Amino acid sequence: MNKDKVIIDSHAGSFFSFKEIVRYKSLLNNLARRDFLVRYKQAFAGIVWALIKPLINVLIFGYIASKINSGESTALNFLYVASAMLLWQLFTNIFNEVSNSIVGNANLFSKVYFPKIIIPLSTILVCLVDFFISLIILIVLFIIVGQPVHWQLVLAPLFILLTVINGFGIGLYFATINVKFRDVKFIVPVIIQFGMYVSPVIFSTGFYLKRLPEWLHWLYCLNPMVGAIDGFKYSLFGDSIIYNPGYFIGSVCVSFLFLFVGVNYFFKFERSFVDYI
Amino acid sequence: MSSHPIIKADGLSKKYILNKNTSVQSDTLYGNVINGVRGLRNLTRKTQTEEFMALQDISFEVNRGDRVGVIGRNGAGKSTLLKILSRITPPTSGRIEYIGRMASLLEVGTGFHGDLSGRENIYLNGSILGMSKHEIDKKFDEIVAFSEVEKFLDTPVKRYSSGMYVRLAFAVAAHLEPEILIVDEVLAVGDAAFQKKCLGKMNDVSKSEGRTILFVSHNMQAIQKLCNKGLYLNKGKMHSFGEINDIVGHYLQSGEASQSEFKLPVPEEITYGYAHTVFIEDMSGNSLTEIPVGDDWRARVLFKIIKPTNHFIMGFGIVSSFEQPIRTSWSAPEDLAAGDYEIIFKNDDLMLTTGVYTVVIGLSSEQRAFQYVDNVVSISISDAGDTSQNKRIVNTQSGLILNPMSVSLKKLN
Repeated sequence: MNKDKVIIDSHAGSFFSFKEIVRYKSLLNNLARRDFLVRYKQAFAGIVWALIKPLINVLIFGYIASKINSGESTALNFLYVASAMLLWQLFTNIFNEVSNSIVGNANLFSKVYFPKIIIPLSTILVCLVDFFISLIILIVLFIIVGQPVHWQLVLAPLFILLTVINGFGIGLYFATINVKFRDVKFIVPVIIQFGMYVSPVIFSTGFYLKRLPEWLHWLYCLNPMVGAIDGFKYSLFGDSIIYNPGYFIGSVCVSFLFLFVGVNYFFKFERSFVDYI
Repeated sequence: MSSHPIIKADGLSKKYILNKNTSVQSDTLYGNVINGVRGLRNLTRKTQTEEFMALQDISFEVNRGDRVGVIGRNGAGKSTLLKILSRITPPTSGRIEYIGRMASLLEVGTGFHGDLSGRENIYLNGSILGMSKHEIDKKFDEIVAFSEVEKFLDTPVKRYSSGMYVRLAFAVAAHLEPEILIVDEVLAVGDAAFQKKCLGKMNDVSKSEGRTILFVSHNMQAIQKLCNKGLYLNKGKMHSFGEINDIVGHYLQSGEASQSEFKLPVPEEITYGYAHTVFIEDMSGNSLTEIPVGDDWRARVLFKIIKPTNHFIMGFGIVSSFEQPIRTSWSAPEDLAAGDYEIIFKNDDLMLTTGVYTVVIGLSSEQRAFQYVDNVVSISISDAGDTSQNKRIVNTQSGLILNPMSVSLKKLN
């Protein structure tokens, strides 16, 4: 028999408990499963839709990049854009889904207790499945172009993880605000749209740094997605994609700062969500 | 069995802060614009708020194996107490300690998704209630057998009948194995057969397996049968806590147990007028706290009209505990001058089975609906008295509606 003593008091917040997450891991899986199954139920093309949106983005922005950034070959331009775009979409999906996850599942935690962090965590799983499906596009492009891969490829999972951390940290912060102010629903898409143009998605970091005045460089590199995308490109293409290790490290630090702030903010108010939703 | 408390609650209070809502109807563009502007203005100004104590200084101890019935009128704080105990919302002050695993059933089928199959929903709902995959696997066949939906296990539950849906949902909940179980009366309402099944299952769980149960209900019979301890709440405060028969006695003596007169909340914005009081009575005007099954009854609604109203209509609806509307009746449209009015809805042709029903009341004029009240008035139909004497009813469990059809039998050829 479980002899755990539970104490309930008046604090609005709680603490991150890894033990509880492990105890509720089947809920984590089942919520992710639900979201995934429900999304493509009664859709004729089903899971193919997970490929179509990223494919269209890659084609459009790859074309634009190859027109503007004529320094590289068209094929290489497409590969750069494809790799950055897929990672960027992983970030925006997680950011968007996590920030809406708490409000969207209010019917669950207003009737049953479970650690609420399970909800945003489960959305990450769904976004990751989508991401791995969309990687098919990248693999096919690599094969078509005949681009070789290097040992650095083993680093790729690290940068995917960094992207997850970015989306999750910022998303949790917005998910918490969303409980009280539904304006978040409108703000997040604006941030995402703006964010794409200040991240090395269509163009490389080198492209931006060359054109931005010196005093803006540090600001550009505080964007947590700069580190993740440049790192991912480095793992795929192996050359000196990271233009300045200092900038890269700065960006990664910002990622972890956001994660820390987001998680803290979430747990500070977690227990009183029901009263405000 | 040890008598150490398994749950210890000390000085629990819960305060809600209500925002005074002065917004205009927001389903129009005009309303949206006005509310938007007001919203911006309110950011710089302190909004008017009102405090509401849902619970005040509640302390009690529950021993292992106790079955505690929580009783009190609507709005006494029963649900708030269950929500705090089940960790859905934190108390404003005070603390609770409990030992072991707790599960709460405040709703049947939390998280059920219409697009998922019965099988998928069993896993989803089970895990929401805190069961591990292994536990659900182990209980899966039992759950399916209990729910009687084997054939439709792979059909999306949106295609289920509401009966199948509830059976499946309850089946999952019934196979939880926590040390402490918190149950709201949602589980014990519905048709009598379902109620019996639920109560029977809870009885098994508590008596034979020694689990601790907290159970909220308006059904004193069920509470006395199931529980050994009672907790009586009155307007957020603890009235008494002790042996169930004493507590139920206090409650029934207080006259709070059932109502025949309901005060309706005064709407914030009064346009044409409002209904303020509802009386449930028999046909000669004697108030009825409980309607004997099969008997005629009527609802007398008092309302006020503050300015001449054209085409006034009042609607009166009866809704089952499954939130299934059963019937709605409307008054014939009339032009009314300002003044106080009474309207009577007579129920002399429909026999509903025993249970608690909610009443929905709506008032409208030519222009628009101006008052809508639900969840305030309830009617309770009991099997008080000897139902076998009532020749109109053969069996109170034969369905929601007890009126028989006209039946004719003849020999052919």
